[in-house]
Amino acid sequence: MPHGDTQPSAETLIECRSVWKLYGPGADRIASRHGQDINDQILADAGVFPAVRDVTLDVCKGEIFVIMGLSGSGKSTLLRCMTGLTELSLGELKIKGVDLKTASRDTLIDIRRHTMGMVFQDFALLPHLTVLDNIAFPLKVQGKSREERYAKAREMVELVGLSERENYWPHELSGGQQQRVGIARSLTTNPEIWFLDEPFSALDPLIRMEMQNEFLRLQNLLQKSIVFVTHDFDEAIRLADRIAIMEGGRVVQIGTPEELITHPADAYVAEFVEKVPRSKVVRVRTIMSPADASLTAKPVHAGDLVGDVAERVLSGEGAVPVADAEGRITGSLKAAQVVAVLLNKEIPA
Amino acid sequence: MSDVLLTGSPARHIGKAKYLLVAMSVLFAFLVHLVAGPESWARIYPEAWVWTIAQSLTVGVKYVVNDLSVAGVTLAELTRGLAGIIELPMLALQGALSEGFRFYQADGSVIKIASLPWPAVMFAVVAFAWRAAGIRVALLSFLSLAYFVMFDLWQPSMLTLSSVLVAVFVSFVLGIMLGILGYRSARANAVLMPVYDVMQTIPTFSYLVPVLLLFGFNPVAAMIATVIYAMPPMARVTTLALQRVPANIGDFATMSGSSRRQKMWMVMLPAARQNLLIGLNQIIMLTFAMVIIASVIGAGGLGGKVYQGLKALRIGNAVEAGIAITLMAIMLDQISRAIALRRPDHLVDQPKPLFQRYPLVNITLVVTLLLVVLAQFIPALHLYPKSATISTGSFWNDAVLWVSDTYYTQIKAVREATITYFMRPVKSFLLILPWPGFIAVVTAVSYAIGGRRLALMSLSLLGFILITGYWQGAMVSLYLVAISVVLTLILALPVGIWAGLSTRADRVVTPIIDTLQTLPSFVYLIPVVMLVGVGEFAGLIAIIAYSLPPGIRYTKQGIQNVVKSSIDAADMAGCTQRQKLVNVQLPHALPDIMLGINQTIMFAFGMLVITALVGTRGLEHDTLVAISKVQPGEGIVAGLGIAFLSIISDRLIGQASRNLQRQAGRRPQ
Ligand SMILES: Nc1ncnc2c1ncn2[C@@H]1O[C@H](COP(=O)(O)OP(=O)(O)OP(=O)(O)O)[C@@H](O)[C@H]1O
Ligand SMILES: [Mg+2]
Repeated sequence: MPHGDTQPSAETLIECRSVWKLYGPGADRIASRHGQDINDQILADAGVFPAVRDVTLDVCKGEIFVIMGLSGSGKSTLLRCMTGLTELSLGELKIKGVDLKTASRDTLIDIRRHTMGMVFQDFALLPHLTVLDNIAFPLKVQGKSREERYAKAREMVELVGLSERENYWPHELSGGQQQRVGIARSLTTNPEIWFLDEPFSALDPLIRMEMQNEFLRLQNLLQKSIVFVTHDFDEAIRLADRIAIMEGGRVVQIGTPEELITHPADAYVAEFVEKVPRSKVVRVRTIMSPADASLTAKPVHAGDLVGDVAERVLSGEGAVPVADAEGRITGSLKAAQVVAVLLNKEIPA
Repeated sequence: MSDVLLTGSPARHIGKAKYLLVAMSVLFAFLVHLVAGPESWARIYPEAWVWTIAQSLTVGVKYVVNDLSVAGVTLAELTRGLAGIIELPMLALQGALSEGFRFYQADGSVIKIASLPWPAVMFAVVAFAWRAAGIRVALLSFLSLAYFVMFDLWQPSMLTLSSVLVAVFVSFVLGIMLGILGYRSARANAVLMPVYDVMQTIPTFSYLVPVLLLFGFNPVAAMIATVIYAMPPMARVTTLALQRVPANIGDFATMSGSSRRQKMWMVMLPAARQNLLIGLNQIIMLTFAMVIIASVIGAGGLGGKVYQGLKALRIGNAVEAGIAITLMAIMLDQISRAIALRRPDHLVDQPKPLFQRYPLVNITLVVTLLLVVLAQFIPALHLYPKSATISTGSFWNDAVLWVSDTYYTQIKAVREATITYFMRPVKSFLLILPWPGFIAVVTAVSYAIGGRRLALMSLSLLGFILITGYWQGAMVSLYLVAISVVLTLILALPVGIWAGLSTRADRVVTPIIDTLQTLPSFVYLIPVVMLVGVGEFAGLIAIIAYSLPPGIRYTKQGIQNVVKSSIDAADMAGCTQRQKLVNVQLPHALPDIMLGINQTIMFAFGMLVITALVGTRGLEHDTLVAISKVQPGEGIVAGLGIAFLSIISDRLIGQASRNLQRQAGRRPQ
């Protein structure tokens, strides 16, 4: 599991400050005239549509940052702003300290060649190239030699388990296999930041699950900084270190899965988290009671998921001690608390 | 059928005003007709009012081409020099395929290098067809090439083939360049599109004249005319194909850090290649059709054979060359289509060194070498011996004689009846119709269909025809097209409906119209002239034959595209077959049928131009005369007349069809 006790390190790779993206006739004019004073009235009068409005967030090194929201909430647009595919209307966006708005074309090309990799919802494989050539393509663009390209591409093919099919053409692959190629291709240049826009949405539920596991396996291996877009809350919960929930272009809440479930910022977020099985999200530390010296059973970890320790607690004598990362006893977990979580009851703040 | 649903809506009132306008224009036309005498200016546009732009243009073009010189070099000298360069690849190809090379030494001696032996060319083509399109097409290619050889048509066929290849190459490259420009810049696209429209609708013969003036009476001029004709569709296809590349593929290119040029050439164009190849298939067919027509300005080849045969009334020769054209058209179409539709396969298309990947190439090279050596000893390998050729010329001549002897009275009766009761009345009606009335009615109808913009367009385009003095010619052209279209539709609609309703009929009809549509228009003239001689009746038949396939195709597709659910609903409501057709299928198919009518008209205009060769008299005749008199101005202005007529009808029917579709969309189902 990617999440647990480890806190994302403090170094920020992507900084969004009051980012707006406006669409519609005269969007640029409105943006330059009103700046950050822009409001609903002005937008409505001008017939300009805010796909992303006033988003401020940081993505830190080594974390999986998931952007979650319903269709049309502006997830892709925000992601495209981060990659520089779309120019923002207002605000400031820095990648590793480079301001995308003022960066020259060459700087952008350079950042994309070495720092970013991206996976697309519809795979976006090049139909005229074999699997191997698709994966080697980003290196070809950089003018790398044939041997170097293929050596690296073979490594990536192996990583995603498609070695037998390296000479296939994209149309000869299943959707899941195509997305494996997409993933391998986005990693050939060994980018620091990895963008994925609904990478598994076009796949069947079973394959999707398999690909999520694959994704987690790769991340364990590679330790990238990841921005992952999805409209599937379960997927977000499964994968995320932190989730940003978007609604109508706004980010309404940013937090760990657990924070979202225990403290939803508004009714919109609450509605999402309602159906999520709490035992798969809530950690022992959140619900434990103060330490009880009389307990002698083997302690559980404060960072464990309640669902993972439920059986032990319930089959024992009604309560177990809780230990922190260093092994000190910091609390106790009672069977009643576990049952409450398993029954999806509200967690008292 | 839709009255109930449309009455009472606010749009209906605007609609009424439009109908009133049309009614008033008709009334106006009628009044002018009553008032104007037989020789009135309203019927015959006075000489004195003619804007002599055509004549001035002729003088101007001739001056620029022949007399205007920069540093002692006239434009004609320059362009003819250029023609010499353009001619090189063509000469090389022709030389290799059939003509051989001659190099004149300084001392007057000649070094001759023979062309490739014909069996070698045959082997290469068949091998290529096999590899690209499979055994069936390879067999077809073999039979076609064997036909060329045996009927003593090898040289003209190879000439035609090399013109086609060079012209296709040039059109393809230029088309892609302009297509990229149109894709990158919306502003450039807005300028290019209408230019393409005119380039594609203006009759071929009109730009043959300036091209002739610039490049002389030779195959290069023909090739350039061909490129003018075939390049616009390629440019359009390229722009469209690039626009259709999924947006994410372009984004991927950007995200991998491609430069603008890398993105275009390494990602966008290759990703669009399937559509580009389909475009290539189209331009091969267009080029082929045009190369045949260009025989009129000395392209020679198969088209030249047909043209000379028709002119000298040696029908047999024309038929033999016509069959060769047909075979070559089908061959080119099948091969290029197979290439376009082919998808790579990991079992076949392994990344291997070139010589391993295409074993056929090696075999072909070896065979060619072998044959070249053998040909030193066996001359028959170089030139297929004349004694072994066959000719069915006399058979065809006899056949024609027999047909016209046996069916003389019947053919004559049909012809006379059509002319007397149908063609002549329509023609004289259009000719005595006062032009102010005609223009008023067309403008009012345009307004009713497409509002002010369309009305303005019709008015100015018709106005141009009028004041340049080509009104009478335009009416003659219009009459022939109108009659042909009506007769075509009378034939095409029932056949199309039948093929749309019955799968069995579809299976018979579709291959026939597919084949007919690959044939260059020129070929249609041959049987027509054989059976009914020359004249407007022959033109009529040729136009009908040529524009029948698109009419049938669209009607058929329209019927087939009716959504299943509406048919089921009709079945559930207990409709009879006939009620179902009239109440459900036909109304739903109407927009498609309108498109079919539009295509029929466009094809009719396309063929009209060529019927000038069999003696029709409208604007098309003027463009042809302009060639023989070398009057570029007259040729262009008369040609613009035809282009304008077809543009007007295209826009009107296109808009009407869109209106219908919108209405159908609004109608609750
Ligand atoms: N190029 C554009 N021009 C105009 N409007 C746009 C453009 N791109 C996006 N939008 C609008 O911005 C809004 C957000 O779009 P976006 O693609 O970011 O949504 P999304 O959250 O990714 O949705 P989905 O889950 O369907 O992909 C949508 O309402 C969309 O219509
Ligand atoms: Mg999206």
